[in-house]
Amino acid sequence: MRAAAVIAGAGILGGAAPAGAQRALTVAPLVSLAEHRVDAGFGVERSLGPILGGVGTLRFGPRLAVAVRAFGGSLFGSTGVLDRDVGELGVEASVVTLPWLVLQAGAARRAYSTKLGRQTWTLVSLGGTARMAFAGDAIHSVWRAALLPAVSASGLRGPDMAFRAATGLEYRIRTTTLGVEYSLERYDFPAEAGVRRLEQLSALSLRLELRLR
Amino acid sequence: MRAVALAAIVVTATMSPLTAQGSTAELLGQAHEFYERLEVERALPLLRQIVSPNWPFEVTQEQRVEAYKYLGACLTLAGKRDSAVLYFRAAIERDPFTELDPNVFTPAQLATFGEAQRRTFAVAVRPVEPARVDPRTARVTFTIVATHAALVDVKLSAVGAGQPRSLFQSTMDGVREITWDGLLADRRLAPPGRYALAVAGRSRLTGTSDSARVYFDLRHEVAPLEDTLPDLERRALLPERMSPEAARRDVAKGLGVAAAALLIAGAANGDLGGGERGGADVVAATAAVTGIVAFLVHRHHGAIPENVAANARRRAERDSANASVRGRNADRIAATVLLVSPAAGEGTGP
Repeated sequence: MRAAAVIAGAGILGGAAPAGAQRALTVAPLVSLAEHRVDAGFGVERSLGPILGGVGTLRFGPRLAVAVRAFGGSLFGSTGVLDRDVGELGVEASVVTLPWLVLQAGAARRAYSTKLGRQTWTLVSLGGTARMAFAGDAIHSVWRAALLPAVSASGLRGPDMAFRAATGLEYRIRTTTLGVEYSLERYDFPAEAGVRRLEQLSALSLRLELRLR
Repeated sequence: MRAVALAAIVVTATMSPLTAQGSTAELLGQAHEFYERLEVERALPLLRQIVSPNWPFEVTQEQRVEAYKYLGACLTLAGKRDSAVLYFRAAIERDPFTELDPNVFTPAQLATFGEAQRRTFAVAVRPVEPARVDPRTARVTFTIVATHAALVDVKLSAVGAGQPRSLFQSTMDGVREITWDGLLADRRLAPPGRYALAVAGRSRLTGTSDSARVYFDLRHEVAPLEDTLPDLERRALLPERMSPEAARRDVAKGLGVAAAALLIAGAANGDLGGGERGGADVVAATAAVTGIVAFLVHRHHGAIPENVAANARRRAERDSANASVRGRNADRIAATVLLVSPAAGEGTGP
């Protein structure tokens, strides 16, 4: 519900952009190999699996963009660990502050479900993405970092610390961009009954960005 | 008393040129009145006084020619044809444009004058009148004369430079108007400067030669021209080749991404059992290979096609803009108007 509100807000933000601004739409299907690790005091539980999804980005002029992302997949647990499905819907607004630096703010709703139950997460992120071009401008190195200052997970107290970091490369050929990226999200929850819960989601992603108009 | 005398002297000295001019004109007027009343014997002494070397007053060229002409006319009426021819010739020699109006003079006078013209050969060109001429639609006109049939060559040249252009080369007799389209021998519009029009003639009757020359200044009236865009400076162009430093930086960037991927995976995974670094390894390897390959490629094929194309586009835009400017300037130059004014002789021009 909150995610929907954020999406609506982004829509309003997009509508508030200058009418004369040139809009551009890109879509980027992505495929990831994700690994989820959680340590809730019973040892590290590890699950691994493919995730499919996509990102649609609408640019309002040269500086402002709004992106909506959705993905989902199945993570298969290692020995003794339950398999789980994961799905996420998120929205993110970006502002180009320097030619190589984009500041971003976003919100997302994520759900993990196992045969025993379902856990939903709400994530608010603030961060930035730096792109540094290789000579020739066809290849860019990508560096992402974001703090997740507001995270809520059903059945859990919010984490003391949460962040996301990623790095990778983008290869641009005309209007198409192929990206390869390693990303990691880390959540350190406060200790309860002497047990400190640690959780992370890492992924190797391939993204093919296509500029539609 | 002395002051009054001095003032009288000053006034007399000041008025003397006017009095002299007036005396000649007055005498010429009296002679003309006598001639009109056919009192030829009374007109002749007055006219002889004017052309006499002893005449104390100033006589202009026109007045002298007029006196000679009427002397010839009077002597024709007096039946002294040979003397009349001599005076007519004196008038023609001083001004080859001298003519007798058939409505004013008798056939005998005209015949005598014709005889004088046949015996005297001279060519002349009238001083150039100030004029404003658009060479696309009008011509500069010069008036030349040959006192009788002659082969006449009219050439126009810039004073001190250039090859003369022949405007006329043929046989003529009498007055003729020669037009000039404003072009020189190279078929280009004559540049501003001082020009000379030279007339040379050889009589078909006597074989004698004569020449005359007139000078004029030529100026251009043209709308202000636009400046073309200057050459593109180095800083206005993008680098078209990779620098060795840029190629080396590619290696650093690739290794930087590789290190960052490994660092993220290693640092964050430490208290979660380490382990899975496959994704980070893939990205690290890809980044390292990309950096090295980019370095090698750029080192051997350092051209930057996008920049080369962008620079070519900028050069083409500049060339196009300059072509437009040159086109507009050419139109303005083509619409140049020539301003002609008389000049006294050879000089630097306007």
